[in-house]
Amino acid sequence: MLPSAAATLAPEVRGLAALKDAVLRRDPMFFGLLRERTAAAHTCEEVLLLATLRKKAERKGLVTELPSLRVALVGGYTLYPLNELIGHFLFTAKPPGSFHAEFLLGDYDNYISEILDPSSKLYEFKPEVIVFLPSSRRCRYSGNLLDARDKQEAEGRNIATQILDLCRVANSRGGAEIILANFPLPGRFDPGPYRARTLGSDWSFRKFVNLELGLNAPSYVHICDAEFLSARRGTLASWDARGWFESKQAYSPDMSVDVARECAYLAASLRVAPKKVAVLDLDNTLWGGVVGDDGLDGIEIGDTSPRGESFKAFQQYLLSLTHRGILLAVCSKNDYEKAIEPFEKHPEMVLRMKDIVAFKANWQPKSENIRQIAAELNLGLDSLVFIDDNPAEIEIVKQFVPEVETVLLSDDPSEYVGALQDTRYFEPRNLTAEDLERVDQYKREAQRRELLAAVTDMDAYLESLGMEAAIREFRTVDVPRISQLINKSNQFNLTTRRRTEAQVQEAMADPVYFGFTVRLADRFGDHGLISIVIGKVAGGEAEVDTWLMSCRVLKRQVEELVLNELVRLALARGCSRIKGVYVPSAKNGMVRNHYQALGFTPTLTSADRLEFELDPRLYAERPVRIRVAEKSYDTK
Amino acid sequence: MTQSEAIAQLQPIFDELFMEKVELTPELTAKDVEDWDSLLQISISLAVEQHFGIRFRVGEVEATKSVGDFADLICRRVAGN
Repeated sequence: MLPSAAATLAPEVRGLAALKDAVLRRDPMFFGLLRERTAAAHTCEEVLLLATLRKKAERKGLVTELPSLRVALVGGYTLYPLNELIGHFLFTAKPPGSFHAEFLLGDYDNYISEILDPSSKLYEFKPEVIVFLPSSRRCRYSGNLLDARDKQEAEGRNIATQILDLCRVANSRGGAEIILANFPLPGRFDPGPYRARTLGSDWSFRKFVNLELGLNAPSYVHICDAEFLSARRGTLASWDARGWFESKQAYSPDMSVDVARECAYLAASLRVAPKKVAVLDLDNTLWGGVVGDDGLDGIEIGDTSPRGESFKAFQQYLLSLTHRGILLAVCSKNDYEKAIEPFEKHPEMVLRMKDIVAFKANWQPKSENIRQIAAELNLGLDSLVFIDDNPAEIEIVKQFVPEVETVLLSDDPSEYVGALQDTRYFEPRNLTAEDLERVDQYKREAQRRELLAAVTDMDAYLESLGMEAAIREFRTVDVPRISQLINKSNQFNLTTRRRTEAQVQEAMADPVYFGFTVRLADRFGDHGLISIVIGKVAGGEAEVDTWLMSCRVLKRQVEELVLNELVRLALARGCSRIKGVYVPSAKNGMVRNHYQALGFTPTLTSADRLEFELDPRLYAERPVRIRVAEKSYDTK
Repeated sequence: MTQSEAIAQLQPIFDELFMEKVELTPELTAKDVEDWDSLLQISISLAVEQHFGIRFRVGEVEATKSVGDFADLICRRVAGN
């Protein structure tokens, strides 16, 4: 008898049965259950399952009305399925922080041109939130571990400035809030303990860049602290080399869950008013024991016992909250005189009467007292958080004042601070979008001026890349890579003509054909072989049989570089015409206007084929910011 | 483990993930099943690794063309080679 999968899957996966039932019965309770399960889920496996269930429910006609949110993801990674996870967390967040998200995914590692190009699909999408994951590979010190510290710092600052500049440009075009993921630190020992004595190690350099990003981020940039999240989960468990090499994933599956949850949290916090008041029980919440029974001398508070110390630490944390502008209130079933005694007389108490803005100690239901506290402070019930160790009191408040969030403390006071921190109710945060509206008004004019400047930034950016290309005729050693690209490239591929290795070699041997490859490197590294062209010469005409390019070098002027070479080769072969052909496929819509953008004239337009031509004799070489180290057929 | 034994163990995993009976045969491919999208593929890989206590090497799962291929791969990984 084989074990059933249900018995061996993790327990949290098995517990999904109730949810599945709800889907099949089309029970609207489904969404409440889904929210609870999602909040408790911590593995990628479980969240993906829940996301699949949600989609299934929608297909079965279970719907829930939520406001929509347009979210664009750009970055140095494959952004799928991160968007699915973010979408799921946005969907299952507590209202009013929940959304039905629409996504636009940037191309793999194409974020710089997507952000700089004002006509890119990013801006066409009109995102309200842009999640930006800059590439960790570009966050490396280029010099030596032993270089002078100020040189290393300068490079780190420069990288942070470039990233924040991209944020600024993206925000200035349409006003999207930017969620910027900083860099996780590497979990491997290399280069050893010396890592901490130099900024040149990846470990120190990324920490430095992360600090620069966070300390200099303007208010529309919300840092998704991947460094912190990966440290919390474990740096080794946060990175997955296989996922990177297979599909260019930014993080391990479980770390993706952490990042997605944080992105949804940040997006929601733009729309949700923060909590303002902590409403506190007294007995076994602020001190151990019952003051009414045990008396002032009998309660546990202060440095005389581990329990007393724990309660004192909790009070110290609550006091620190008041320094962030959080108000403290008391709501206790006690005689008022007994209840205030520790605040006035106990030497070990941290909190005193002056720290409490509303003090309710009586025998009324706590739900009533909480309503009164809100009324006295002239605040909405939804800005209150009620904190108690008694499950019955928590339940009453949940039922009768559902607007109030509740925190049920355990029976171990050493965990109180952590438990309250984990609720994240009292995190200080950036101002809301509406506040920013006012605060940032005077900055608008400056931003417009910067936007104008940004159009020319593209050139400066390309120049700064220090690109270098090697153009070579097809060589035997390159055939496997040439054939691989010919058979894999879908998007930037004008004719999608596939060829096996043997067919590539056949074409190489046939004098009718010429072909060249382009390799590109820049100061961040080598992109390898990224573009392939095959031309066919007949009767004074060079027909472009194949033209394809890797999308990660879009908008780097490689297209123009290739055309320069194409013209040179056509002229060398006595051609007076270059014929460009576009054959539409399901995936190559991005190059439909390729030839026209390069100055070709349309000669044929039909549903399954577009043709263009260019006279190479009249062509003026296009200037490109790429140094050409080598041209094809140079040795011949 | 044989291919058919592996498929027999895959069956309840697929049933669980698809929430309905997906009759597994060696010839079945993702294209044959409506709900089998890239998201579910990730769930399948994660669940299978966990169930069999194995870890696929880079590129292996992508290279399988059918349930039979996938089951063969599982057999190889379970056998430790």
